[in-house]
Amino acid sequence: MSMRITNAMVTRNVLASLNEVSDKLTRAQQKAASGKEISRPSDDPFNAARAMALRQGMSATQQYKRNIEDATGWTEATEQALAQITEVAQRARDLLVQGGTDAADPTSREAIAAELEQIIESVKETASATYRGAYLFSGTDVNDRPYLPGADDSYRGDQAGANPAIPGVIREIGPGVTMTINTVGSDVLGRGQGAADGKLLHVLRDAVDDLRSGDGAAIRTDLGRLDGELEALLEVRAANGARANRLDAALTRLDEVEESHLRQLTNTESADIAKVLIELNSQTAAYQSALRAGASIVQSSLMDFLR
Amino acid sequence: MISSFYGLQTSLRGLLAQQRMLDTTGHNIANASTKGYSRQEATLVASPALIVPAGSLASGAGAHIGSGVDVETFRRVRNQFVDLQYRSQNTNLGEWAARANALDAAELSLAEPGENGINEQLARFWDAWADVANAPVDPAAKQALAEQAGALADAFATVRAQIAMARDQGMAEYATLSGPTGEVALAAQDLAGLNDQIKRYITAGDIPNDLLDRRDLLIDQLSRFGQVSVTEQADGTVDVAFVDTAAAATTYPIVTGTTATWAGPPAGDAWSPGGRLGGLLEASRSGGTLDGYLADVDAVATSLATLVNGAYGATFFETGPGPAGATLRVEAGIAADPRAIDPGSGNAGSNDRALAVGALRDHASIDRAYQAFVAKVGAQVRDARRQEANAQVLTDAVENRRQSVSGVSLDEEMANMVRFQRSYQASARAMSTMDEMLDVLINRTGRVGL
Repeated sequence: MSMRITNAMVTRNVLASLNEVSDKLTRAQQKAASGKEISRPSDDPFNAARAMALRQGMSATQQYKRNIEDATGWTEATEQALAQITEVAQRARDLLVQGGTDAADPTSREAIAAELEQIIESVKETASATYRGAYLFSGTDVNDRPYLPGADDSYRGDQAGANPAIPGVIREIGPGVTMTINTVGSDVLGRGQGAADGKLLHVLRDAVDDLRSGDGAAIRTDLGRLDGELEALLEVRAANGARANRLDAALTRLDEVEESHLRQLTNTESADIAKVLIELNSQTAAYQSALRAGASIVQSSLMDFLR
Repeated sequence: MISSFYGLQTSLRGLLAQQRMLDTTGHNIANASTKGYSRQEATLVASPALIVPAGSLASGAGAHIGSGVDVETFRRVRNQFVDLQYRSQNTNLGEWAARANALDAAELSLAEPGENGINEQLARFWDAWADVANAPVDPAAKQALAEQAGALADAFATVRAQIAMARDQGMAEYATLSGPTGEVALAAQDLAGLNDQIKRYITAGDIPNDLLDRRDLLIDQLSRFGQVSVTEQADGTVDVAFVDTAAAATTYPIVTGTTATWAGPPAGDAWSPGGRLGGLLEASRSGGTLDGYLADVDAVATSLATLVNGAYGATFFETGPGPAGATLRVEAGIAADPRAIDPGSGNAGSNDRALAVGALRDHASIDRAYQAFVAKVGAQVRDARRQEANAQVLTDAVENRRQSVSGVSLDEEMANMVRFQRSYQASARAMSTMDEMLDVLINRTGRVGL
């Protein structure tokens, strides 16, 4: 025997199918409005967790990029200071060439010595450059000025970053990848005459003394030593430039990583708008036809046809 | 010899019977939308025949002459077995609906995936550490870090508080439903009253169809709360009890005979009644699903505090007393003055500690554990909703089958109405035919030649 269909059943079924269709319609509408495939974890638990991990990854990548930008700023400031030091050291060399000739008299040598002293001050001043409030050449002792103005040439920073064994000013430029970005002042300028380390400040002070004592041969020796220091400066600048290159390369790679993260995140989380709109349209049509069918089946009855 | 007036009585019986049938039809139509109503029908039987003694027929035999029709019973059309199926599905539906509801609240409180969830706050927290590593001497970076750490702790506290609230609300709902003035207790009283009335009618030999419908409806409603067993007694009363879904032999009486015997849930809620009560209990009881979520949140908060403090080399986060998720906070000294954050173990420019904390990003016990937790909640909510939808489909199917048997079809009632009306008219016609016959006999017979 076929199933008896009663009015309550018809109403229930019509309502149930209307509910079902309007639920689907609401979901499609939600997707279209938010542009998101996943608006709650239960929509797709696996992909929701994946999307969260990707967001973390995106955030980390962007932070590494910011770290690199900061590190690039540091190396650029370092390069600027070193270029300036090179320039004044070059000027000191020119002066020494003048002062080293036997034609130079004590007066002109004294004048040169006085200018060299200014150059020493200028070198120490430049070496006290800061980046975002930190002294560039003090190692990690970034709150302390590396050299004080005046006769005292002693280096007041620390040795952090002077060689790979001592970590210096470090930036994280990728997951687990760190890089020392600072140049230690005492490596470049030395600790002055007292330390007798043959570095730039020592050489310049020696030159001042030799100019004043009028020892032409010693001045020419100082000239040779200064040439050596200029070479050393170039080496330091080359090392700093290599750091900048490495940072550039890391940035380019992070750009690629970020792009791929973004693509994956879009694939995981974002709704395919064309698909969603088609779905929305077809659900709207389904809803309307369910309404129409429901209305016609609920309205008709045997009563319409009996006298 | 048969009385000349015999046929009048037969037609009268027909008229009265058709009238009862029409009455029943009217009752059905009136109750077409009444919840729990089962359609009724009057069952007719031929009334006892008039027995004429031997010799009245040509063959010399006796005869049974029909005397019309009587209403035997008014019965409700109902299938008890479909009732049993309906109740078992309804229990299932109640349980999953309650669970889906409770877990739904927990899922919503996570606000994932989104800009405001713990995941995003964690990302910003790691970013803030990296900013401090970039500028170890910058007080602004430290200030930003302290504030972000506070926001992260707040996010943990909010999520935990909302899950705890969902749990407490679930337990409150359970306590209200099953308590002394709750819906179970009220249903028990109604059932006891109905049992009492039904018992009296049944003892008198009546069948109170509409009271039986109301009793069945009450039992249907109880079956949403938990798994019920119904035992019919000879006096027409039913004993109703909740049955433990884990141990079928254990029952918790709701009504026995004419007495409401519901005494509330067992001590310590040590039962699994199924249905809405069981679902609420499963999700919200101590050690239930929501409690598990709280433990997961606390575990992530604890590892966050422990690992960050370990990498930082000093106390950065503090927890307790109490659950870690709710009490996670930035160490008081740092909160008061973020400049106290010490990013490195060496001179001012060293940032090894900040880097070590930053390296915890995406740690298996922090970010990944939290993501796994969210995925778990999502999967459980999805499962509960799917189970609920399944139970709904099954309940609807059984309800349809039940309606197919017991429901009122207006078309059918209209057809019956036409049938009964015609029968009534025909009986009336038979009576007037009889009347005309008697008219001939009484008024015109013996008047030849007048």
